[in-house]
Amino acid sequence: MRLRGPRATAVALTLPLLAFIAASFVAPLGTLLSKSAYEPNVANILPRTLAALDGWSGDGPPAEAAFAAIAEELPKARQERTLVRVAGPVNRLKSGMRRVLTRTARQVETTEFAGSWREALIGINPAWEEPDTWLAIQAAGTRFTLRHYLQALDLERRPDGSIGLQPEESRIYMPLLWRTLLVSLGVTLLCLAIGYPIAHLIATSPPKRSNLLLLMVLVPFWTSLLVRTTAWIVLLQRQGVINSLLVALGLTPDSERLEMIYNMTGTFTAMTHVLLPFMVLPLYSVMRSIPPTHMAAAASLGANPVQGFIRVYLPQTLPGIGAGGLLVFILAIGYYITPALVGGRSGQLISNMIAYHVQTSLNWGLAAALSSILLVAVLGLYLIYSRLIGIDRMRLG
Amino acid sequence: MNALLVRRAGHYGFIAFCAAAFIFLVAPILVIVPLSFNAEPYFTFTEGMLRLDPEAYSLRWYQNVIEDEAWSRALINSLVIGSAATLLATALGTLAALGLASPAMPGRALITGILISPMVTPIIIVAVGMFFFYSSIGLGQSYTGLILAHAALGAPFVVITVTATLSGFDPILLRAAASLGAGPLRRFFRVQLPLIAPGVFSGGLFAFATSFDEVVVVLFMGGLEQRTIPRQMWSGIREQISPSILAVAVFLIAFAVLALFTVQWLRGRSAQAR
Amino acid sequence: MNGKKILPPHIEYISVRKTYDRSNWVVRDLDLHVQRGEFLTLLGPSGSGKTTCLMMLAGFEAPSAGEIRINGAPVGGLPPDKRGIGVVFQNYALFPHMTVGGNLAFPLEVRGMAAPERQERVERALALVRMEGFGDRRPGQLSGGQQQRIAIARALVFEPELVLMDEPLGALDRRLREELQYEIRRIQRQLGVTVVYVTHDQQEAMAMSDRVAVFQAGRIEQVAAPEVLYEEPQRAFVASFIGENNLLPGRVLSINRGVCAVEVDGRQIEAAHVGDLPVGADTLVAIRPERVTISHEAGRFANEHEATVEDISFLGDHLRVRLSVCGTSSFIAKIPNIVGHGGILPGDLVRVGWATLDCRALEAESK
Repeated sequence: MRLRGPRATAVALTLPLLAFIAASFVAPLGTLLSKSAYEPNVANILPRTLAALDGWSGDGPPAEAAFAAIAEELPKARQERTLVRVAGPVNRLKSGMRRVLTRTARQVETTEFAGSWREALIGINPAWEEPDTWLAIQAAGTRFTLRHYLQALDLERRPDGSIGLQPEESRIYMPLLWRTLLVSLGVTLLCLAIGYPIAHLIATSPPKRSNLLLLMVLVPFWTSLLVRTTAWIVLLQRQGVINSLLVALGLTPDSERLEMIYNMTGTFTAMTHVLLPFMVLPLYSVMRSIPPTHMAAAASLGANPVQGFIRVYLPQTLPGIGAGGLLVFILAIGYYITPALVGGRSGQLISNMIAYHVQTSLNWGLAAALSSILLVAVLGLYLIYSRLIGIDRMRLG
Repeated sequence: MNALLVRRAGHYGFIAFCAAAFIFLVAPILVIVPLSFNAEPYFTFTEGMLRLDPEAYSLRWYQNVIEDEAWSRALINSLVIGSAATLLATALGTLAALGLASPAMPGRALITGILISPMVTPIIIVAVGMFFFYSSIGLGQSYTGLILAHAALGAPFVVITVTATLSGFDPILLRAAASLGAGPLRRFFRVQLPLIAPGVFSGGLFAFATSFDEVVVVLFMGGLEQRTIPRQMWSGIREQISPSILAVAVFLIAFAVLALFTVQWLRGRSAQAR
Repeated sequence: MNGKKILPPHIEYISVRKTYDRSNWVVRDLDLHVQRGEFLTLLGPSGSGKTTCLMMLAGFEAPSAGEIRINGAPVGGLPPDKRGIGVVFQNYALFPHMTVGGNLAFPLEVRGMAAPERQERVERALALVRMEGFGDRRPGQLSGGQQQRIAIARALVFEPELVLMDEPLGALDRRLREELQYEIRRIQRQLGVTVVYVTHDQQEAMAMSDRVAVFQAGRIEQVAAPEVLYEEPQRAFVASFIGENNLLPGRVLSINRGVCAVEVDGRQIEAAHVGDLPVGADTLVAIRPERVTISHEAGRFANEHEATVEDISFLGDHLRVRLSVCGTSSFIAKIPNIVGHGGILPGDLVRVGWATLDCRALEAESK
């Protein structure tokens, strides 16, 4: 298609931001997602070892060549400070391997070669005799792997090669994902239940009062997320405002202060508070456009207020419910800050698990796999949103 | 008679529910303000405060914050990163919105979708991805990296706001300007830009507020050097929780109210200009 | 006379066509000349291509084929800001962020005129449209009529030779419209500029124009002075669009020196022969309602028929009578409200008649 005139101008205007978003936003996402299935570190650091393991049956220790290769490559990795990149992934496949690898790397350097690397290594650590050790190295050495996805979906590869669900007690991620979805759904419904009446009140009040009420929605909307979370800590904690009030009023004994924060209650309350404006604003803009004469017309035709509401008003607000509900749900399933600060142990969501694997366990592949599952869910909902509501109809404040 | 009574009760129930909901929305924010003047290091109202005893109130937490170099450094960081990211996001976002508003734009829905996506992508994924990516190109723990990251997060707001303003802009005005002899650049700077300026400013303000409130990306990408106000608050809430945070919170609430009124005012202006 | 012949027409459209989607022609094979100092109106229903013609002349649209010339020179490569044509837009298109004075000064500023001279020109333009003293107001503070005066002043302030107006009075109420019609005509005569004016209001077109081009479906049906259009429409569309006409379908029986006999519903009507309709062709016979006479006696006209009065509406200055005649029950006659108009009642059997030259046999269907 030829580009010229207004078409070329339009494209040229959009291009800078498109390029910028591609470089500063899409590329980072791509980097992250690639880590979920692409792990070249072990393969890059132990190429000869892996080559020597090629064709090994898996029964009993491998051939001398493999021992010789690893005896050379481990100390080299240690000197180049890349050993951690091998130790981490291998250790995740067979626990204890981190120690085995670092010690071996250190001791091989000082070991005199006495004819057989095999005996030398087994002498350093008997783990080298076990086929499992080598299987772990071999598995960690595949550049492209789906094992992070298996783990993220609570699946495992059985010894016979088939894929099945992990035993129930070790399933972590799917229950967490379900919990995230349930919490998001709960928060969305709660926002709808609270937001619908107040949006209606704002939309039907006389202009001055309507503006004032709208401000009461917009002030929280503009207020820093951290401030709002802090506010809930101040209100809900054991020594906080609400507990102190209850104690002072004699409603709860001092020893039995309510646990309202650092658990699911805290996550739920604070998230609802944070996301409520995102529900109210689209509802309000839809409700404002419904002429008040419609309800009057319904009444004149003999409908009582409940019938009028259900048959005439509610159907017209469905676009607002869809817009607000989807937006709140999309924002909720990716929520991180609030659960991290007020969720305690039980109020953590999938985002917090991703952060844990990035910062603490350093299992980046798994973090990336969880991220891509979350991303697919969010993008799917975003697609529905854009089809149903249209992105260009999104309004702020 | 009975039906009327039921309806009236229903109406009062509705009003009471709404009142409770508005209290839920606003009270947590309002509670912070008096508590930030607490003379004691508690997060609750002391008896003295309830008696309105002047002794129970003090500015000590505000003084703490002002004297603490970490906070002033955080403020400077926030302002520097926020302004730079805002400039970038506003310039690119406004241009893109102008392109998207053209009826000749091909693939508008898809491109809008991509440009807005940073707004809905879970922030943790953005932060982690940026952490890996910017480290790999040598921009980890740098101001540049954070500015680029925040600009990407703020640009969607500019696109949305300017697009909304442009929908109220009558393109005939550009034809009129052309018929009067104005070339393309003059048409843009003398006619279109002045008329969409309120939208551009609002978008910029949204972008700045986004950066000014952003903590997760800073958490993953920023080093000690680049601690911003939200980052400082984050540690404050997680580690050594002190009422100084409430003083900062009051400052941020004041900023929010100011930003809100500015945007409302700008909106009024752009509605007038139509 | 000789000197004039050397000058090319001010504007020429030469076989101009326009399509947006390569399948539907918005403008087809348009040929049109506009003389210097002429007030030409493009008249037609919405979607007939008249505004597109204007926008191609202003340079906002490019013809898909053909050529437009101004003063004999093709303007195809010239962007709108280099054409120096004044344009008055439908909804005024005043810049809301500038004062009235700022709006008027804008084209002068663009042309690099010095401030003092600019000021003087702005004052003169305001005086021209009788809006002295409004220079410091904002467009939003003016009424619709005032805004339109300013829009006209802005299109004239840089002294273009040619001014285009796209339904400039469409948004105004009737009284204001008539007042401004007169104003625009006055200003045009005073300055001697060429005006190409677009409207869908035939009364407006008749009242203002030197010539009117009637558009339909992307074509010009007829270009002529208003009275010629009214008295001598060449096509059925023009006959029905300009004023009111009874159109009776029939077939040409014979032709004799500009007069033809037409068979309509089994009767014979004598009508002026228009164009090159052959004997045997289908035709539409157009009869102006005000040229129809109703009487009880016979013998005054070449065309006389028995008719039944169906309905009578009293419209102040005239009576509007609906009759059954010549195979239609909606034949309209307008009877002036003068003493002794006949005392006709619905159901009456009457005679209707009209002169041969008040009745024109037109080509049945314009293709």
